[in-house]
Amino acid sequence: MSEDSHRDGAERAGRALLDSHVSEDPFAAAFKATRMPMIITDPRQEDNPIIFSNRAFSELTGYSQDELIGRNCRLLQGPDTDPAAVERIREAIRQELPVSQDILNYRKDGSTFWNALFISPVRNDQGDVIYFFASQLDFSGIRHREAELASARQAAEETVLRQTTDLRAALEAKTMLVHEVDHRVKNNLLTIASLIRMQARISTNRTVKDTLKSVLDRVEAMGMVHRKLFTMDDVARFDVGEFARELVVDVVSALRRDDIRITMDISPVLVPANRASPLALIVNELVGDAVRRGLKDGGGLIHVQVRRLNGHFIISVSDTVEPVPVDPEEQQFGRLILETCAKQVGATIEREERGVETTVLVTLPVGNIAEGSQS
Amino acid sequence: MNILIVEDEALLALELQSELEEAGHHVTGHAMSMGEAVALAEARRPDFAFVDIHLRDGPTGIEVGRILARDNIPFVFVTGNLKRIPEDFAGAIEKPYSQNGLHNALAYISALLRHADWRVHHDPGRAPPGLVPAPACIRA
Repeated sequence: MSEDSHRDGAERAGRALLDSHVSEDPFAAAFKATRMPMIITDPRQEDNPIIFSNRAFSELTGYSQDELIGRNCRLLQGPDTDPAAVERIREAIRQELPVSQDILNYRKDGSTFWNALFISPVRNDQGDVIYFFASQLDFSGIRHREAELASARQAAEETVLRQTTDLRAALEAKTMLVHEVDHRVKNNLLTIASLIRMQARISTNRTVKDTLKSVLDRVEAMGMVHRKLFTMDDVARFDVGEFARELVVDVVSALRRDDIRITMDISPVLVPANRASPLALIVNELVGDAVRRGLKDGGGLIHVQVRRLNGHFIISVSDTVEPVPVDPEEQQFGRLILETCAKQVGATIEREERGVETTVLVTLPVGNIAEGSQS
Repeated sequence: MNILIVEDEALLALELQSELEEAGHHVTGHAMSMGEAVALAEARRPDFAFVDIHLRDGPTGIEVGRILARDNIPFVFVTGNLKRIPEDFAGAIEKPYSQNGLHNALAYISALLRHADWRVHHDPGRAPPGLVPAPACIRA
């Protein structure tokens, strides 16, 4: 069949369709006037040509009615039209089923639009398909906004990713810095202790040796605080109980006496890091006092208690020793450290002596160290 | 014991050497880098080694430890950062250690190494608090 005869057939079919409706037929009028682009095709003619199109369809596609009649709808397809979408439409028409398909179409001037296409078969009384009715909806605007949204979302995700990467790098740098500072502080504390030890070793003067040993004892307690702080996973907390246990075992073992008995009643008592030093020095003074007053010379018993009791936090050291004279200056220095540290944390000190048994009890309200403390 | 000190801080090494000698041991060498440590370990065959992890050429103490373990030389790490030590590796004396802590650790180690089959006698539960035991502690 020639191009012309093809179009003639389509025109005839279109006219026949219109003639079957009286001119005032509201459905035909609505079809022509609606802003929804619509076409009708005739599947009984070869290649299912368009036999009718409305004005809205011409406005959408740029083709006049004359240019459309007799042509197959594929004239709207172009290079970027998805062949799979075309195939789905073709298959629905072959099976005479309604189909809804989003498809990229081309106008007469070559520009593209996104078409939400809906095609449904129209059947006669015998049930044969006599027409296909197709409506189009240009949703390029929606597609565009979707694309804009997707691109905005992608940009936001990229920003988040970039900032997360930056934050992670900053955190890594900070962690490295903390480790570096921790390493320096530990090495410096050990260097300070080593300098004191060296001078004590070189000195032949008993008083100098003892004085340096006395300073070393407190410096080492500070070193142990730092070591314990960073050993725990939570660097903001310090366990006074754990500190006391290690200190007393270390100090007493180093005396190399088998006539000393240690007993302990120690629970974990976590305190904020800024309370670690005064509390650790208090423990250190109490244990050191017992050692100086006779434990190192004649052995004996030492009992260490660190726990919560009736809303209070107590550190207590009892010793049973054969008393020996203590250097008064050393004793004064020890008392000064103890009292000053107790003052800092708001603790009271009670000292009780019964025969050869001495108990020093340091009590502070849990509220004074409450932040982060637990028993 | 003949002891090798692997430590890049000269003052700390000197003080540790004094402590060891005072306790009746002999310091057979002092290395500040991995290369020195490995050379001294081969040349002097020490009975024991103290190994700092951060040396002059970086955190190479771990590798020194591996080589000592391969050569059957028992050792402990001496470090401020216990987290650097691989699990199931060696035990450690944590910096800053106290004189008492060091004495106690040393006493435990030298008593242990008097046994030819010292591994059998090692009990992490009885190690002094200054000696942080890895599961294999002072291993070789």
